[in-house]
Amino acid sequence: MLSTFITNSPLLASIIITLITIATYQLAAACQQKWQYIWLNPMLFTISILVPLLLLTNINYEQYSESTQLLNWLLEPAIVALGLPLYQQFKQIRFYWQAMIAILVFGIIVVISVSFVLSMWLIKAPDIAIALSLKSVTTPIGITLTNQLFGDSSITTFAILIAGLFGALLGPQWLSFLGINSAKAQGLAIGSASHVIGTAVLVRKSAEHGAYSSVALILSAVLTALISPWLIPLLQQFYH
Amino acid sequence: MNNVLYTLFAISICLLLGKLANSLFSALPASLYGMIIYAIFLQINWFSADKIVNTNQWFIKHMGVCLVPAGMGIINHFKLIQQHGIALVVIIFSSTFILLTLIGYLSERFLITPAHHIADTKAQNKPKSGVN
Repeated sequence: MLSTFITNSPLLASIIITLITIATYQLAAACQQKWQYIWLNPMLFTISILVPLLLLTNINYEQYSESTQLLNWLLEPAIVALGLPLYQQFKQIRFYWQAMIAILVFGIIVVISVSFVLSMWLIKAPDIAIALSLKSVTTPIGITLTNQLFGDSSITTFAILIAGLFGALLGPQWLSFLGINSAKAQGLAIGSASHVIGTAVLVRKSAEHGAYSSVALILSAVLTALISPWLIPLLQQFYH
Repeated sequence: MNNVLYTLFAISICLLLGKLANSLFSALPASLYGMIIYAIFLQINWFSADKIVNTNQWFIKHMGVCLVPAGMGIINHFKLIQQHGIALVVIIFSSTFILLTLIGYLSERFLITPAHHIADTKAQNKPKSGVN
């Protein structure tokens, strides 16, 4: 019934579905604001409410994604907006940008290779392997990169969320346990492994932690974008 | 309102230049070129950071809602999660912790603040401690 409504009046359906998505997200964001639980991530919350809703109303994913095209279009300008935190951190990086980039490049190459090889070994599906290799960058950029390499971006989105939550919940304790306590090292590690979700938690420790974390999250996104288009095809060659 | 339009204008221009850059050298996606161009324009003051900061922060804060449609694709993957759910979590968990440990350890070991910078900060802090 609802599916026919979507085909008959796509514009109205699109407005309603987009509004429902935004309203659910706002509700989740308000809950997180109130209780401050990390796992009450608005995206995760919205998806886990909307998935049963779609199943219940027999709307398939293609119909949903066409109806929410407007939100998809905003993805590109949203990435451009991340230029502001990058600009704000220029001062922070100027002393050791070379060493920092070298460390991040090394980390990214290791994490992409490890995730790709593990996924090919355990799951044996190249599109899933690509999606999981790109899970350490911030979500909008992860989605863009996965689409570019013909991976499955919905898996990337989920993997990014889970990686973010792991790092945010356990990362700081894990690093302290290893004796890594400086704001610089903790910030860079959490920012590159758990992107925005990790940064949101780490910034409560100190502004310096937060600053390094946002540097790492943006630098590692840019570096992953540069590295993955040649590293992933290279890794794929081993499995042909 | 003026600043909102100013910000949207700035972002659109940078995205447009990003598209141009991407069509010339396809090393990065257009939106990432746009992001870097935006940061550079702010740094050289072609766009005023004071004017864009509020709208831009608002935009970043609510960005997550634009990512929901991409995540909803999971609806087509129930079978994968049933079959490989544990493998997925193991892969994500282990690679995240390898990355955390590696970057944390290397940064702690190799990112040392240059001596002149330490001297700078000390000089800046001195008057404050003098008051105490």
